[in-house]
Amino acid sequence: MSMLEAAGVHVRFGDRVVLESVDLAVAEGEFHGVMGPNGAGKTTFFNVLTGRVKPSRGKIRLGGEDVTGLSPHRIAAKGIARSFQIMTLFDEFSARDNVMMGLPEFRARGLDIARAAAGDRRFAEQASEALVAVGLADRGGIRAKDLSYGDRRALEIAVALAQAPRVLCLDEPTSGLGSDGVQRLATLVARLKGKLTIVAIEHDMEFLFSLADRISVIHWGQVVARGTPHELQQNEWVRRSNLGKFA
Amino acid sequence: MAAPLLVLDDVRKVYTRGRIVRRPTFTLQANLSLDEPGIVGVVGPNGAGKTTLFEMMTGSNAPTSGRVLVAGTDIHGVKYRERDRLAIHYHQSYQVRRFRKRVPSALLAPSPTRTPLVHLFDEPQFNLQDGYIGFMLDFFRKLRDEGRLVILCMHPTAGWHLDILAEIAGRFLFVAGGGVTPMADFGALVADPRCRAYLGPDMTKAADAICRGAVQSST
Repeated sequence: MSMLEAAGVHVRFGDRVVLESVDLAVAEGEFHGVMGPNGAGKTTFFNVLTGRVKPSRGKIRLGGEDVTGLSPHRIAAKGIARSFQIMTLFDEFSARDNVMMGLPEFRARGLDIARAAAGDRRFAEQASEALVAVGLADRGGIRAKDLSYGDRRALEIAVALAQAPRVLCLDEPTSGLGSDGVQRLATLVARLKGKLTIVAIEHDMEFLFSLADRISVIHWGQVVARGTPHELQQNEWVRRSNLGKFA
Repeated sequence: MAAPLLVLDDVRKVYTRGRIVRRPTFTLQANLSLDEPGIVGVVGPNGAGKTTLFEMMTGSNAPTSGRVLVAGTDIHGVKYRERDRLAIHYHQSYQVRRFRKRVPSALLAPSPTRTPLVHLFDEPQFNLQDGYIGFMLDFFRKLRDEGRLVILCMHPTAGWHLDILAEIAGRFLFVAGGGVTPMADFGALVADPRCRAYLGPDMTKAADAICRGAVQSST
């Protein structure tokens, strides 16, 4: 059984069809890449997976359970966490506080951060674990806005990891990163790979082709191609292009 | 026998100028039938009427006279929101033109199908670097093999644009001067003097080379 499944997802905004019958089945522990040109519908697809956009037709299943049309926080509670293309952190709070706010039990206690943080060491420990996982163990006390861009990207992933998700959705995780940042992110993702089911939209083909188990190519709101990186590279036009280099 | 996938039955579109005395400024006529699933290439100069043709095929721009039948259904008689369940127009957002909706949707018929039968790709952005061409071409073939009609419009400005057309399209439509001429294959298209004039000397040379290559490889 697939961990995450989309079946016949159809979305339209007014007169425009944005997604036309998109299917996806991601096995447990798989790293599934999503690529496609700008405006192809990739982010809308993520928004459907995470409950931000309701499909006009089609189903989303998580571990076999139908989660179609649930609100974003319910889907998050079921175990789908995501990062955004545009960073969404609380700038004035420390890295550790940002991660703690990602903890479901912490959020259930309300927003009195000072009291909650002082009152329960357990949350801080959980947050520290997530920070260790992304290589930010020694930066927990630094305010989010004072972190480097690469650290902020890693922190976003830590926030998502803190929710102990079953599926992690990453929307262009490498965007805005320099080559050393991409390298660091690749190491981090390689470490998470296998332990966690990951779906990642990505424009950095080297990153995607070296890490993904399978890749779906979305264009015109449809899956135009799907396969392992090796399978996709068998196409003659692909070999003629820059993608051919990542074989 | 199933109805042909796309029929333009004596379709005429007349654009006029002037409110009282209407003078025609442009007329497009088409009478053709694309019976079987396949991939059809469309070429022709700017201003020849390609966009109008596509808008009529996909139901956004009503013909002045004649009918557009998709699998036997008059697409202009289908509810506006459901016309893309018959024929879908993939275009850049800047290409979208809006037209007045004269008949209330409630009076129109629902679409008989849920997934589009005709897929019309209006100058998709191809570039050699990113490798998407290969995925796109395979996708066109997949649609064709599923029994659909793919219409691909291109402006050949580089040799490899012609490679794509020659590789993928089984038939062609040449649109010029308000008329639509069906062409049996790439060779027939390139042999037409109006097409050669449109392509210009460099592209004509490249197209002839593709035709010679095809002859050589088949002998």
